[in-house]
Amino acid sequence: MKKFVPWIIAILLLLWAVSKMMPAKEKPGLDLHGFGRLPVLVGGRVMPMDSLARVSLSEWNHHGVYTAADKTVIDPTQGLLDILMMPERSDTAKLFEVSNQDILDIFGAPDANGNFVSYSFDDLKPFFGEIEKQAGLAEQTEPETRNAFQRGIIKLRESLQLYLQLKNTIQAEDSPDFGEEIAAFALAIRPGLDAVHARDAGKPYNEQDFERILVLTERYKSLTQAKYVYAIPNPQEPAQNEGWQHISEALLSAIRNGHVPYAATAYGHLISAYRAHDVNSFNAALHDYRDYLSKTIPEKLSRPKLEFVFNQAQPFLQAMALYVTVLVFALLSWLIWPRTLGKTAALILVGAFLIHTAGLITRMYLQGRPPVTNLYSSAIFVGWASVFLCIILERLYKNGIGSVCGATIGFVTLLIAHNLQLDGDTLEMLRAVLDTNGWLATHVVGEALGYSAMYLAGLIGIIYIFRGLFTRSFDETTSKTLGRMMYGVVCFATLFSLVATILGGIWADQSWGRFWGWDPKENGALLIVLWNAVILHARWGGYARERGIAMMTVFGNIVTSFSWFGVNMLGVGMHSYGFMDQAFGPLIGFIASQVVIIGLGLIPLKYWRGIRARQSQAGAGDAEKGIHQRDAEITEVL
Amino acid sequence: MTHEVVRWLKPLTSLKLTIICLACAMVLVFLGTLDQVHIGVYEAENRYFKSLFLFWTLPNTGLRIPWFPGGYVIGTLLLINLIAAHVARFKLSWKKAGILFLHSGLILLLVGQLFADIFIDRESQMRLDQGQTKNYSESLYHDELAIIDTSGNDSDRVISIPDSQLHKGNRIALPTDSLEVLINDFYPNAALINPSQLPAANYPHLQLGPMADAVEMERTYKENERNEPAANVSVIQGGNVIGTWNLAAGFPRPMSFDAAGKACQIVLRPKRFYKPFAIQLLHFRHDRYAGTDIPKNFSSRIRLTDPAKHEDRESLIFMNNPLRYRGYTFFQAGFDNNDTTTVFQVAQNPSWLIPYISCALIVFGMLLQFGMHLVGFVKRRMVT
Repeated sequence: MKKFVPWIIAILLLLWAVSKMMPAKEKPGLDLHGFGRLPVLVGGRVMPMDSLARVSLSEWNHHGVYTAADKTVIDPTQGLLDILMMPERSDTAKLFEVSNQDILDIFGAPDANGNFVSYSFDDLKPFFGEIEKQAGLAEQTEPETRNAFQRGIIKLRESLQLYLQLKNTIQAEDSPDFGEEIAAFALAIRPGLDAVHARDAGKPYNEQDFERILVLTERYKSLTQAKYVYAIPNPQEPAQNEGWQHISEALLSAIRNGHVPYAATAYGHLISAYRAHDVNSFNAALHDYRDYLSKTIPEKLSRPKLEFVFNQAQPFLQAMALYVTVLVFALLSWLIWPRTLGKTAALILVGAFLIHTAGLITRMYLQGRPPVTNLYSSAIFVGWASVFLCIILERLYKNGIGSVCGATIGFVTLLIAHNLQLDGDTLEMLRAVLDTNGWLATHVVGEALGYSAMYLAGLIGIIYIFRGLFTRSFDETTSKTLGRMMYGVVCFATLFSLVATILGGIWADQSWGRFWGWDPKENGALLIVLWNAVILHARWGGYARERGIAMMTVFGNIVTSFSWFGVNMLGVGMHSYGFMDQAFGPLIGFIASQVVIIGLGLIPLKYWRGIRARQSQAGAGDAEKGIHQRDAEITEVL
Repeated sequence: MTHEVVRWLKPLTSLKLTIICLACAMVLVFLGTLDQVHIGVYEAENRYFKSLFLFWTLPNTGLRIPWFPGGYVIGTLLLINLIAAHVARFKLSWKKAGILFLHSGLILLLVGQLFADIFIDRESQMRLDQGQTKNYSESLYHDELAIIDTSGNDSDRVISIPDSQLHKGNRIALPTDSLEVLINDFYPNAALINPSQLPAANYPHLQLGPMADAVEMERTYKENERNEPAANVSVIQGGNVIGTWNLAAGFPRPMSFDAAGKACQIVLRPKRFYKPFAIQLLHFRHDRYAGTDIPKNFSSRIRLTDPAKHEDRESLIFMNNPLRYRGYTFFQAGFDNNDTTTVFQVAQNPSWLIPYISCALIVFGMLLQFGMHLVGFVKRRMVT
């Protein structure tokens, strides 16, 4: 029976996670899921409305949520509906977050002590002139040298601009009922055109018809300025903008063709119903429009639909929760019931890994790309690869170390990814130079694998130092095993980072005509390779034993973080597209923590609790000699 | 005797030296990377990686004190160390085969890169407007004072004085017609301004024309800016000054003069690299993702003409797909003028194949080495 306990716990937890990923039951009322699945073209790709809502919200506030005027947090799609169809309501929602005190001073806000203060569009309205002026001034400074105020004010202006564009995505925001307006417009086209033709031919014409069509044309022409989201499919002209139109273009084309495209009318119906709080008409109009889509552009519906399910399931959040449970079980297994708890942890780790994998593969399918395309996806992938290595380690050694490492790295990298997500669309299209799956799959993935192994080695190093220094569970087998694990993982890291770096050179030669350009990101990769070489040679030469290697792998964490994130903050060179600046503080904090851990590792062995425990057990045995005994077989090599 | 040599060589083969060199290389790369923020990628490359030492200039003295080994010193030491170690401890065995492959790949890579760095000036650009044909590329970083003898029928004769020789007071003898060039004044970087913008009438400047003066500026290290020198030069023949001109690389207008009956021109311009063939831009395309400004692809359709090789053909250069011809690589680097001008980066790297070979050697060596470890490890685990 005891044999099955780990399996039962693991399966129950996994089922719980999977059940949370299942789409929530639709509540009666507005068909929010149906609307959330509607496809739109944004940023060069077709995404569901639900993603548009999430991506936009994450640009505006750091939780990426829609907070209505009454401070309730509502579903992103529901929020988007307000923005698109009832902007007078969304104008009062607290969407925009500001934390920079200098910017807050513009609004006359009291000292926020670095906390976020939320504003609605209406709140900010009186300050538009000042925001515009300050952002304009800030823009004259080069991006790399802008200070926090300048970056913040430019970001705020972009946020407001995005909001304005969204309000004018499927309607003109000032229209009391755009559905009615479209209907009236459809009726005005024919007589209007007749009047125009008659006037051109010098014949008598109806002035009212003429005026009306002229005014509407001007109105929709000015609406094109708000072009950002293309919601109207235009299957007749697939070559133009990949077959998508902005509402303004659809209505202007109606003047040429004599009839309003069905999709524009359909959105008009939705707007009328939504504004009249008529749930049944809204759902019926939505049903009709989705019928129309599945008849005209069925090929463009499957990915947005899957993306919608993916957004709802949030597999990476579930995986994070499971990683935490793994950590708890694995750490407990070092104290009590090592076999049962250790096995349970390992099984849950596999389950979390499976969910992590499912998320990763779905993203790859949605984007049609190898797993790493931007900083966000690199975090997802680095975590995934580390966990994979950890599962292998756990299978080999069955001592809980693999589980602890896997859970920690898996959780932390997903947490990093979660924060990077706030930079915008994580499935964004790739800039020209990156538009090559072959190199993305080899060089970029190889580098990411190198990072994963570096962090894993570093974490094992930390465990070595902590267990040796603070616990009594540091017997000779444990320390030797940890040493061997570090060595193996460092070898793996060397292999991948060296090969990937050279492949990067070859890519550079292929596309830029030089093998090596001393670009910051290239230098970062080189630093990792060099550090691995130092570790390996120090071990082969006998200059560093287990403890030395442990400290060196911890330093490897610093090198890897500099290469992964640090160089991006420099903002120079050909790789600087992955720029991010909020992460500077956390990065410095992480580096400081690693320095402290290396410092702990330097504490003389006689103060190590693990060593003392061993000495008291072994009597007068020379413990130091024990951990320093090196693998004779490896020193033979050179 | 041999013992002496071996003893003397011993330190060169030590792993300690390897580790010290690798650690120094890390420090160098780290410092160089950080400094790129201030002095740009190119200047950092020259100061840190393509140099013997890092220098620290003693304030107010101009005294340069080397304080850290540069890329060439570290690279050469590593190379010697690596080769010496293998020579001293060479033993043909399977156990070492992987390491041997790996290290020979590294040696090849280091030597190849060193060779490419020292002997090839690689960075130049070719800017072509739609329809334009050129048979030269221009340096991004260097300028030249060119004296062009235009009296030939088919071709001009160009004498180029590199910018390293352009400094105030320098007198340069030309290998022709007993001509000499005297640099009366030289600004390593200059801005062209309207005379009315001069801070004061007596502010040092070089008058280029009624509408333009050149005034000296700080050298720039920004990635998207170029230093554009200006100079006042005289051409002297047999002790007589034939003419004196103000020239500016930012406004490379050739000045004509007559040297003993030969029509000549003098111009200060970005350094040119002439090619034995010509390239014409037929059409530039800039594709964006639908409804965005995100570039999806840049491509240039060009025509390549090389009479000597009987080549006259069209080709398409786009992202990740350069044109390789006669040892040169042309790749799409940028665009300008509302998508009607294309900019190619031109690289000349006859050793481009070396990284591919060394990569293969390194990968093979590593797989062999770690593979054998892994097999051994798994075997041992199976036994226990």
